[in-house]
Amino acid sequence: MRKPTEDGPIVRGVCVALTIGFVVLFLVMPLLTVFSQALDKGVEAALDALTNPDSLSAIWLTLIVAAIAVPLNLLFGVSAAWAIAKHDFRGKSLLVSLVDLPFSVSPVIAGLIYVLIFGMQGWLGPWLREHDVQIIFALPGLVLATIFVTFPFVARELIPLMTDQGRDEEEAAISLGASGLQTFFRVTLPNIKWGLLYGVLLCNARAMGEFGAVSVVSGHIRGQTNTMPLHVEVLYNDYQFVGAFAVASLLALLAIVTLVLKSLLEWRFADEIAAAHRH
Amino acid sequence: MSLVIDSIAKRFASYAALDGVSFHVPQGAFVALLGPSGSGKTTLLRILGGLEFPDSGTVRFADLNWLGVPARDRRAGFVFQHYALFRHMTVAQNIAFGLRVRRWHKRPPRAEINRRVEELLGLVQLDGLGMRYPSQISGGQQQRVALARALAIEPRMLLLDEPFGALDAKVRKELRGWLRSLHERLGITSIFVTHDQEEAFALADLVAVMNKGRIEQYGTPQDVIRAPRTPFVAEFLERAPGAAPLA
Amino acid sequence: MAAIPSTAFRWREPGVLPGFGLSLGFTVFYLSAIVLIPLAALLIRPWELGWVGFWEAVTAPRVLASLKLSFGGAAIAALVNAVFGLIVAWALVRYRFPFKRLVDALVDLPFALPTAVAGIALSTLYAPNGWLGAPLAAWGLKVAYTPLGVVVALVFIGLPFVVRTLQPVISELGAEAEEAAATLGASRAQTLIRVVFPALAPALLTGTALAFARAVGEYGSVIFIAGNLPMVSEIAPLLIVIKLEQFDYAGAAAIGVVMLAASFLIILALNLVQSLLATRR
Repeated sequence: MRKPTEDGPIVRGVCVALTIGFVVLFLVMPLLTVFSQALDKGVEAALDALTNPDSLSAIWLTLIVAAIAVPLNLLFGVSAAWAIAKHDFRGKSLLVSLVDLPFSVSPVIAGLIYVLIFGMQGWLGPWLREHDVQIIFALPGLVLATIFVTFPFVARELIPLMTDQGRDEEEAAISLGASGLQTFFRVTLPNIKWGLLYGVLLCNARAMGEFGAVSVVSGHIRGQTNTMPLHVEVLYNDYQFVGAFAVASLLALLAIVTLVLKSLLEWRFADEIAAAHRH
Repeated sequence: MSLVIDSIAKRFASYAALDGVSFHVPQGAFVALLGPSGSGKTTLLRILGGLEFPDSGTVRFADLNWLGVPARDRRAGFVFQHYALFRHMTVAQNIAFGLRVRRWHKRPPRAEINRRVEELLGLVQLDGLGMRYPSQISGGQQQRVALARALAIEPRMLLLDEPFGALDAKVRKELRGWLRSLHERLGITSIFVTHDQEEAFALADLVAVMNKGRIEQYGTPQDVIRAPRTPFVAEFLERAPGAAPLA
Repeated sequence: MAAIPSTAFRWREPGVLPGFGLSLGFTVFYLSAIVLIPLAALLIRPWELGWVGFWEAVTAPRVLASLKLSFGGAAIAALVNAVFGLIVAWALVRYRFPFKRLVDALVDLPFALPTAVAGIALSTLYAPNGWLGAPLAAWGLKVAYTPLGVVVALVFIGLPFVVRTLQPVISELGAEAEEAAATLGASRAQTLIRVVFPALAPALLTGTALAFARAVGEYGSVIFIAGNLPMVSEIAPLLIVIKLEQFDYAGAAAIGVVMLAASFLIILALNLVQSLLATRR
């Protein structure tokens, strides 16, 4: 006899088979394709494709963009979470839903809005041209678009976490004579550090991998405004498949490392990560 | 160094938490704020600790405009209902916190801090537990850590929010006697919030019975028990089990 | 009687924790500069065409076809994900099977894998000479460079939304309701359909809506496999890019506004349905 809450072996078998089948078909096979195509002409060819100047400059640009966008969003996330979780004010729930807004906007639109403002025929376009400031088709545009699409990652992790943790410890610190900064760095930060890392991890993965939004603002100037995902597109459209997949496997490795670290954080520090409670 | 509370009022969005509360706490007294939940007693305690701000009224303590002193400079030893121990710090680090965050010219040297921590651990009978984390000790022990942490800053008054609220009955009784004797030894003006009249009458020199943001009666336990001044007080004393423990 | 002091409108409860002005100020400034003002620019831009111009821009056959593909493809993909996401989430919570942890971690792959990488991988996989494309082509089923390819890519990116929304709800479901149903004489199938499924429905709806919303705007994983034939397999976001390349800013913004408005309306409708479901219980 099996328990009344257990499914029969047939149901169970079919469900597991469908699950594994679906995951292999839609997730594992694409991943394998990336690596197998990259190594299609051997390791050497793949490495060559990765180390040519255009690829190197794409890697470098990706790192720079993430190095600017991620810390800014981190600062924003901490600041928003501090205001929202540790204080009471009107309009709080509106602010919380506005923070999530960028997730429901198409990446292409995320790029588009900056072109509408800073582009050649944008609101500030003529003024920018007069003063020789380049935003679209240059680094600032890439950074802006990346900030937009990764905007909520840190904040949406920290807001529920810090709300859950309440204000008692901070109030205790203040009543024991700590200053605001001491309270933040000695009491709040240690309590949220793993959640913070979790948010930064996801933010960084998206920042380095973003395609649609940066594609709109980049202009695709080889060796200058191509990030890694854009470089993948250019190579692929040029039928340089080994090169495209070599750069793509680097990005896929980044995704795998991100997933491993993410699982590790969720498993080891479940109590200190808000997202883990949603699982 | 007595504490004079005068016409304190505080409104939250939908109700009046405190509605003109005035009373006087002599130096070194042990006062209970007794009342049902929502009577405003915790709000009053938090105002004294600098964690909330009243809409009107004044508080004077030792000739100081107490409400004008920022929370971090008040040295009001506040013991939170759920202790609010810093969960990522050891017991010893928790107790040392208030000394370590002092401005550098007032901060005691490291050895002095360590000595004080050991002394306080002894005082609250937690010798040898300094290296534990809050999650590794019992509720009664956490309560005493919270107290030691508040005492470390040499508080000018002690404010305790439902100090035994989260403990089971047996531990509660034990800690109660211990806290009373500690108070007698240290002589710090202390105010604690409770909804348990037995606790209030057993511990306090003076009891303030609160209801709906007002003080219904303020006096010694004997006075309050013998001569309840309002129908609310009489009813409140009858309602709870273990009434008139001093009879 | 002490009078209760009248309190005027107060938009903040004073608290003892510092930094409120600074943190809220920075938050609002950053949010406005990065998100709100640029989005306002999007909403304003198309009207330089005038009502008629706007209408013509968004009802041009090529635009309509692309909107139909983006929303239709997203809807089909969301339905596929609703079915398979439910099965995957159920299996991950309720059953034990080999590689379960790995499968669980892999579900997040579409979140982590850059969309361009997913795009070229799916495109290669389903191309007529690809690992999956070749056998499918032998059956006469063409996936890459057709609308079907668009759906495949959208299924890929939408899967984690359904699974991750359902998982916590399934694990919190508890055995009690199911046990109660069993003691009342319900068969397992009746229990699943009448007790378990209704309890999961709101979360399933939320997850499906999230997958749908993401799929409508998806770009990177789709454009490689779609083939991008105007009127056939050209998605709306791609058309925005094309219009921008022709410096037709207002036209691009018009499509963007329609996409935004349509997704918000659909999400709003789903929220309404969901609150109906919630109040019914």
